[in-house]
Amino acid sequence: MTEKLLKGLPVFLVCLFAAWLLMGLQAPRPASPMDINGFSCLPTLEGGRIKPLDTVARTSMLLLRGKQTVRWHDRVISADEWLLDMVYKPSGADAYPVFEIDDPDVLGVMGIQQTANRYYTFSDLKPHLQEIESQAQQAEQAKPEQRSRYQTAISNLEERVALYQKLQNTLQIAGHDHVLDEVQLFTEKLGPILMTHMAKGQKPSRALMEVLQTAQKYDFMREVAEFYPVPGSRGMTRLEWTSMGQGILDSMTTVGVPPPVAAYAALGDAWRAADAAAFKKTLIEYRNWLDTKVPDDLAHARREFLFNYYEPFYKSMIMYVVVFLLAVFSLLGWTRPLIRSAFYLLVLAFAVHTIGLVSRMALQGRPPVTNLYSSAIFVGWAAVLLGIILERFYRNGIGSMVASAIGFVTLIIAHHLTTQGDTMEMMRAVLDSNFWLATHVVCITIGYSSTFLSGSLAALYLIRRLFDKGWNEPTASDLERMVYGIVCFSAFFSFLGTILGGIWADQSWGRFWGWDPKENGALMIVLWNVFILHARIGGLAKERSVMIMAVFGNIVTAFSWFGVNMLGIGLHSYGFMEKAFVWLILFAASQLAIMALGFIPDYATRRSAPK
Amino acid sequence: MKTIERLASTQLTLVCLGLAMVLVIAGTLAQVNMGTFAAQKEFFNSWCVYSWLGDMKVPVFPGGLTVGAVWMVNLLAAFAVRFKFQRSDTGILISHLGVIVLLLSQFLTQTLAHESNMPIELGQTRNYSESFREMELALVMTSDPQTDRVTSIPYSLFSHEGPIHLPGLPFSLVIRRFYPNAQIGMAGPGQSSLATAGIGMRIGVQELAPVSSDDEVNTVTGYVEVLEGPKSLGTWLVSSGLGAPQSFNVEGQDYQIYIRPRRHYYPFTMTLKEFHHDIYPGTDIPKNFSSLVHLVDPAKREARDALIYMNHPLRYEGKTFYQASFGKEDRLSVFQVVENPASWAPYIACSLVVLGLAVQFLSHLFEFVRKRS
Repeated sequence: MTEKLLKGLPVFLVCLFAAWLLMGLQAPRPASPMDINGFSCLPTLEGGRIKPLDTVARTSMLLLRGKQTVRWHDRVISADEWLLDMVYKPSGADAYPVFEIDDPDVLGVMGIQQTANRYYTFSDLKPHLQEIESQAQQAEQAKPEQRSRYQTAISNLEERVALYQKLQNTLQIAGHDHVLDEVQLFTEKLGPILMTHMAKGQKPSRALMEVLQTAQKYDFMREVAEFYPVPGSRGMTRLEWTSMGQGILDSMTTVGVPPPVAAYAALGDAWRAADAAAFKKTLIEYRNWLDTKVPDDLAHARREFLFNYYEPFYKSMIMYVVVFLLAVFSLLGWTRPLIRSAFYLLVLAFAVHTIGLVSRMALQGRPPVTNLYSSAIFVGWAAVLLGIILERFYRNGIGSMVASAIGFVTLIIAHHLTTQGDTMEMMRAVLDSNFWLATHVVCITIGYSSTFLSGSLAALYLIRRLFDKGWNEPTASDLERMVYGIVCFSAFFSFLGTILGGIWADQSWGRFWGWDPKENGALMIVLWNVFILHARIGGLAKERSVMIMAVFGNIVTAFSWFGVNMLGIGLHSYGFMEKAFVWLILFAASQLAIMALGFIPDYATRRSAPK
Repeated sequence: MKTIERLASTQLTLVCLGLAMVLVIAGTLAQVNMGTFAAQKEFFNSWCVYSWLGDMKVPVFPGGLTVGAVWMVNLLAAFAVRFKFQRSDTGILISHLGVIVLLLSQFLTQTLAHESNMPIELGQTRNYSESFREMELALVMTSDPQTDRVTSIPYSLFSHEGPIHLPGLPFSLVIRRFYPNAQIGMAGPGQSSLATAGIGMRIGVQELAPVSSDDEVNTVTGYVEVLEGPKSLGTWLVSSGLGAPQSFNVEGQDYQIYIRPRRHYYPFTMTLKEFHHDIYPGTDIPKNFSSLVHLVDPAKREARDALIYMNHPLRYEGKTFYQASFGKEDRLSVFQVVENPASWAPYIACSLVVLGLAVQFLSHLFEFVRKRS
C-alpha cells in the first residue's frame, strides 16, 4: 500500500503544484468595490518607459518601505490602493506608515526615540521636513563613498520624502477636491481670458491674475510630476507623453479638456467620493479612448500588470524550497520516489522561472541580463538548467538538490534587489546595445552560474563526506566528475565572456582591457577556474583538494558579482549595499567553514575513506 | 630535474596564476584610493610593486610585467619540452598558443598604446589632443600671424630646478622653483613672490601633495627665469592653474610661456559641428551622446563629416576617437583618443583560446555522453 502511494507521489506533487500555479492565473480579484486593478493597469511614462501604474505603485512603495504592501489598522493595503490614496487623497495617505527608518541618528534628528517600530508616516515626518532637507543638503556635499552612515541615511530619507511629495502632486495639487470642475473651469473660462489678454497686450486685470495663479499651480505640477500619464497630443509617439500639469496647460489652446486629463480628474473625484460606479465608468471610457489612440502602450501596460500580479519568481522560489527539502529527505529514506518527485517539481519550477525570465525579456525588449537584479534571476536560471541536465544523467538527486538551492538563493537576492527601484530601468547610453548585452553579459553570467554550481556541488561533497551515513565511493566519484565537468564549463564561459567584454570595450572605446574593477572581477573567475583545472590535470591536487578549491570559487564569484559594486564602500557608510556587504562577508565565512571541513583527514571521520 | 623541465612545470603555472590573482585583487582594491590610472601603472604595468616603509621604498610583490614574463617563459618551455604534439591534444596546443599571443598583446598594448583627450567646443577646430595628466612647458612664438612656432619642454626636463638650454631660440630658461602640485591664489599680505614679471608677482603659491585619483589633476607650478645670454629678463610664475599664457619679448619677437597639458598634434583637423545629449523623456538618464564632427585632412584630400556616438567611435589614421565626456552646458564635447598599434592582437589570441578550449571540452563531453549511454 505504502509502496503504491509512494510510487504515485511524484505525479501527485506535480499535479498539486500545477493546480496551484493555474489558480494564480485567475483574474485578479478586486479587494474593494472600486475597480483598483482597472486603474493599476493604465499606462503611464516613468523613468523613460511606458509602464502600468501598478509598477509605479510597487516600485515606489519598495523604495519607501522595502515591501509591496503596508499594514494599517489590521488591514493589508496593496501598493495599488496606496497609490490611489497618495495621488487622490493625500491627507488620508499621510497616515500610512510607509517610511522605513532604522537609523537611530536620523530618528534623533527628528527627536524620535528608536523603538521596535521601524515604520513612520508622512505625518510623523511633516514637522521635520525642513530639518531633513537642510541636513541632507549638508550630507550631499560629501562624495557618496565618503559619507558617514548618518549622512547616507539622511540623504536617502530626503530622496524618499521628495519621491513621496512628487507622487502626491503628480495628478493634482495635493489636498484639492473637485478637481474635474477646477480643470474644466480653467480650460473653458480662464484659459481664453489669458489668451485674449496676451493678444491685446493689456495690463493684467484681476481676472487675469487669477488665471496666472492657477496656471502657476499647474506649472508646479508639471515640474514635480513623478510620472507622465498623458499620452502626447502631437504625433502620439512613445516619447511624447507629458505630465498632468502640462496636459492641463496645453488644453488652453485646444477645445475642451483633453480626455486623459478629464479622465484622471474624474477618477480622483470618484475615488474621494467612493463612487464605485462612476470610477468604473470613467475607467472603461478612458480605456476605450486609449485603445483607439495608443493601443500598443495600453496592451503593454496590461501585460506588465499581469506579470507583476502573477509573481512567477516568487512562485518558483517556493517550489525550489520544496524541491530542496525533497532532495534532502531522499538521503534519509524513500530514496527513489523522493528523488523523482524532486526532479519533476524542479522541472516545473524551472518552467515557471523560464516564463518569468522570458516575460521580462519580452516586456523590456532586451536580452535577459540588463542590471544586477536581472543578473540574479539569470544566474539562478542557468544554474538550475545545468542542474537539471546533471540530474538527467545521474538521477541521484544531487543535481536537484544543488540546483534548487542556487535557484532559491539567487531569487531571494533578486527579491531584495527590487528595493533599488524599477527592475526594468532604461539602459544608460553606453550600455544601450542589445548585441553586447546578449553576448558578453550573458556569457559572464553563465560563468557565474556554473562556478556557483561547481562550488555548491563541491560543498555538498565536503559536507556529505562527514555527515552522510550513505556516503560511498561511487557517490564521491560521481560528484568529483560533475565538479570537474562544470569547472571546465565555467572556465570556458567566463573566459569567453571576459573576452567579449574586451571586444566590446575595444569596439566602443578603442581599449581592449583597462584593468577596471568589473573587468578584474571577471578575470579573477577565469584565473581561478584555470587554476583548478591545472592543479587537477597536473596531478598536483587530489580529489578532496579540488573540492576545497571549487568551494573557494563561490567566494571568488560572489565578490566579482557583488563585491565590485561595493568597492569604496567601507563599513562606515550605510544603505543597501552595506547590508549586502555584511551578507557577502557572512557568505564568504560560511564557504571558508565548509572548506575547513575538507581539511579533516579521512581517518578522523567516523567512517573510513571511500575506498 | 632539468631546469627547462622545471620552467615548463605545472607547478610554475600555478604559481603564476596565484600571483596574478593576488596582483589583480591588490590592484583592484588600490584603485579605491589611488585611482584607476595610478593603480594600473603601479601594479600591472610595472616589474615590481613597492611599498613605503617609512621613507624606504621596499619591493613587496612582483609586478604585472614580471608575472607575465615568468608565465611566458613557462608557456614557451611547456611547448618545448612538455606538450605532446598529438591529435588528442589539439585543443590544449591551440589554447595555450592563444595564451602566449594574449600575454604578448597585453605587453605590447601596455608599452605602445597611447591615450589622450580632445576637447572641442561647438564651432571650434582642433588639430591636437591633450594628455590627461602629463604637462608640458610651452613656448610659443606668436609674431608670425600665419603660424605659431611652438617649443614644448617635456615634464621630465622642467620638473626640477636648474637651467634649460633651448637650441634655436635666442634665450634660455632656469627653473628657480618647482612644485609638482600647488594651490595658487591671490597673494595674501606679507606673502612674497619669486616672480619679478607677469601676473605671478601678485600670486601666492602653496605646495600640495601630488594627487593621482581619477578626478583630480595636479596643478603643476614653477618659477622660471628667462635669460637672454647672461642677462635676466625676469622671473615668471608658470602654472597649469593659470588660465592665460604670459608673454615676453626677445629680439623684437613676442613669446608666450605657459604650462599646459601635453599636446599631440595631428596632420588633420576636426571641427565640432553638433553635439547632442539625449535623455529618456521625463528623466535625466542619458540615452545617447553624439557629436557630428567635420574632418579635414589636406594631405590625404579628405574632408568629410563623421558622427561619433555611443559604441560607435571614429577610427582614423590608426586612432580611435570616442565620445568620452561633455561639458559647458552641452557646448563642449570631449573625445578620448586612443592609439594602439597592437589592437588586432587580442582578437587573434582570444579566437585561438576559445577555439582550443571548445575543441578540448567538447571532445571530453562527447566522450562522456558516449560512455554514459
